[in-house]
Amino acid sequence: MALLSLNCISFSYGRTPVLKDISMDFEQGKIYCIVGKSGAGKTTLLSILSGLAVPDSGVILYNGKDIKDIDKYEYRSKYIGVIFQSFNLITKFTALENVVLSMDIAGVKGSQRDKKAKALELLKSVGLDEDEANRRVLKLSGGQQQRVAIARALSYDAQIILADEPTGNLDEETQNEIMEIFCTLARQGKCVILVSHSKRVADSCDECLTLSKIK
Amino acid sequence: MYIIKNALRCIGRSVGRNVLIGIIVLVIAVSSCIGLSIRQASVNARKETLEGLSITASLSYDRQALMQDFGGMNRGENGQPPEKNNGEFDRDSFKDMMGEMESLSLEEYETYASASTVKDFYYTLTAYLNGTDDFQAVSNSLSDTENTTQTENQNAGFPMGQGGMGKMGGGMAMNTGDFTLIGYSSDTAMTDFANGSAAIVEGAVFAEGTSDFDCIISEELATYNELCVGDEITLVNPFKEDEEYNLNVVGVYEKASEAGDMSSQFGFTMSDPANEIYLSYNALQSIADSSLGVSNEDNTSALRSSLNATYTFADVDAYEAFCEEVYTLGLDDNYTVSSSDISAFEQSLIPLETLSTMAFYFLLVILIIGAVILVVLNIFNIRERKYEIGVLTAMGMKKGKVALQFVTEIFLVTICAVILGIVIGGVSAVPVTNALLENQTTAQSQQSNRIAENFGRENSMGEMMAPPNMDNSGKQQVPQGGFMNRMPDMQSMTEYVTQINSAMNLTVVFQMLLIAVCLTLVSGAVSMLFVMRYEPLRILSNRD
Repeated sequence: MALLSLNCISFSYGRTPVLKDISMDFEQGKIYCIVGKSGAGKTTLLSILSGLAVPDSGVILYNGKDIKDIDKYEYRSKYIGVIFQSFNLITKFTALENVVLSMDIAGVKGSQRDKKAKALELLKSVGLDEDEANRRVLKLSGGQQQRVAIARALSYDAQIILADEPTGNLDEETQNEIMEIFCTLARQGKCVILVSHSKRVADSCDECLTLSKIK
Repeated sequence: MYIIKNALRCIGRSVGRNVLIGIIVLVIAVSSCIGLSIRQASVNARKETLEGLSITASLSYDRQALMQDFGGMNRGENGQPPEKNNGEFDRDSFKDMMGEMESLSLEEYETYASASTVKDFYYTLTAYLNGTDDFQAVSNSLSDTENTTQTENQNAGFPMGQGGMGKMGGGMAMNTGDFTLIGYSSDTAMTDFANGSAAIVEGAVFAEGTSDFDCIISEELATYNELCVGDEITLVNPFKEDEEYNLNVVGVYEKASEAGDMSSQFGFTMSDPANEIYLSYNALQSIADSSLGVSNEDNTSALRSSLNATYTFADVDAYEAFCEEVYTLGLDDNYTVSSSDISAFEQSLIPLETLSTMAFYFLLVILIIGAVILVVLNIFNIRERKYEIGVLTAMGMKKGKVALQFVTEIFLVTICAVILGIVIGGVSAVPVTNALLENQTTAQSQQSNRIAENFGRENSMGEMMAPPNMDNSGKQQVPQGGFMNRMPDMQSMTEYVTQINSAMNLTVVFQMLLIAVCLTLVSGAVSMLFVMRYEPLRILSNRD
């Protein structure tokens, strides 16, 4: 059974339709890539999948359950991990604090020490050392912030990882490292859904959903 | 729990903004603390003074009501006052009415003393007698004009009479006599000796309740007449010169001079405290009875005396209960119960209570302005942190929790500033209050001074109106406020509360914490409103 299903999703900004009758199933252990030209509605679709935007029509099923029936805050904090295009980290916090905060919001059980240890482990797994982990995110490079955003998305063991242009601002080497992380996540049984312009990224994914601009 | 942790972290990471909010709250807190302390000081002063106040009361004819009744009865159909209505004042009717004012007898006073609320009861008898060539009253600069003044007052029907035998006012006749003889029912009745303002310097006081003609005289009078303990003095009935009474001097007393003793300044020798002779009630009553026995048929030559009874009460509640109970015991409605202690007590608190009222309005203004500033600052704060709100809600943090975190931040900053404000306010409240109180009392004195000057009395009252003397108890002796209204009571002085020793207590701390909570809620409400209004997608999209 699909982990996440889109059934005839339509969305419009006022009178401007952006998405029309989009249907697709997302399964565990796979990497999906949503591609399309600018303005095709890729980020909008990601917002709908993350529960930040509500479609005009259609149904989204998470594990067979309509997400309208799930508390939207619970859905966002526990079931999906979102990596925003501009990372959306709390800039006055350190990398470690950002990751621990997401655990707190998700209600991850354990002591603060355990959470910090787990967060540090996650940050290390995405290529950040302890010194970088304890640095405020504003003092980290774009690539490092991207890794913090990934670590944050993984911190509460969400089954679905949504990433908007995760490699957009990164150099080729870092892009490869980030893609390697996503592949590892997919191998661990997560469902990874990426939005990208990059053909190279699309080629490394299991399935692609191409969106076209509605005329 | 993580909300508090997050709030603390956010405070630490935005030091500048929170210090600014803290300073504003600190100013509000210090001002509020001083304002509340002044109010508390007023409450404390009232409470403490009342606790230590020995309340005495006396019964007197309600002359004010009498005057009103007289005015009402004599108004014509057009409602005009009598002098305007008929062209002349109906003096005879007024005299008749005054003559009907019955003085209370000792039996009646004793009946009212049986009221359950009365703690103690004593009485005095006052009579005025003349001296002889061998025993003369202490005179002052104005004494030469004394007789003239008294005569003029008598002719004018000036209502100064203390009462006669049976009827008060005695047909408006003025009591004459060089000496004031006061007969005390007990030692308790001798309040000046009880409170320490008078003391025996030679000999001893007469025996309590004795009928012997023993008396004590003032040191000044003894010196003036070269008298000492064991000597005999002779006094004469002012209405019958051959009626003489001999008294044995058993003691000489010294009385602390009071700045408010102005009686001698008015030229009445008998009113000069130095010319007061004290003896027991029974002795003076014997003299009065003897005088009545040898007087002419219509008793006009009998010695006139007046009886005054004083009731003491444990507290104000007892006094107030007595005010009602005494009428159930049969006191006529034309009489009224009054307490000079209560009046003096109320007067003494005027500057402090005026200051307390001012402090209340000041507090109100400070709180309103402070709350508005905090609300504006928080609006800027929230708008600045809009992105943070978007991220937190996008991460799945409920809006309510985000708002709670913001309110917690405000509360923590506010409570720290308020605690610091309590400390600073607590330290500065007493000196600030005392400085303000001094200004207030000075203003009160100056106002009285101006009124006195308007009456051309600045010379005679100059000494009294001089900068007030501060005594050890933190009270100032200055004339009672409302000088105009207090003209008949010029001798009485009010001790204004001019210093407080402490103002802070748990009530003030509690009120300050309440203010902290209220300020948090007011400014936090704005935060909540904004947080609830923001949608994460819109915030993050706009940023992108």
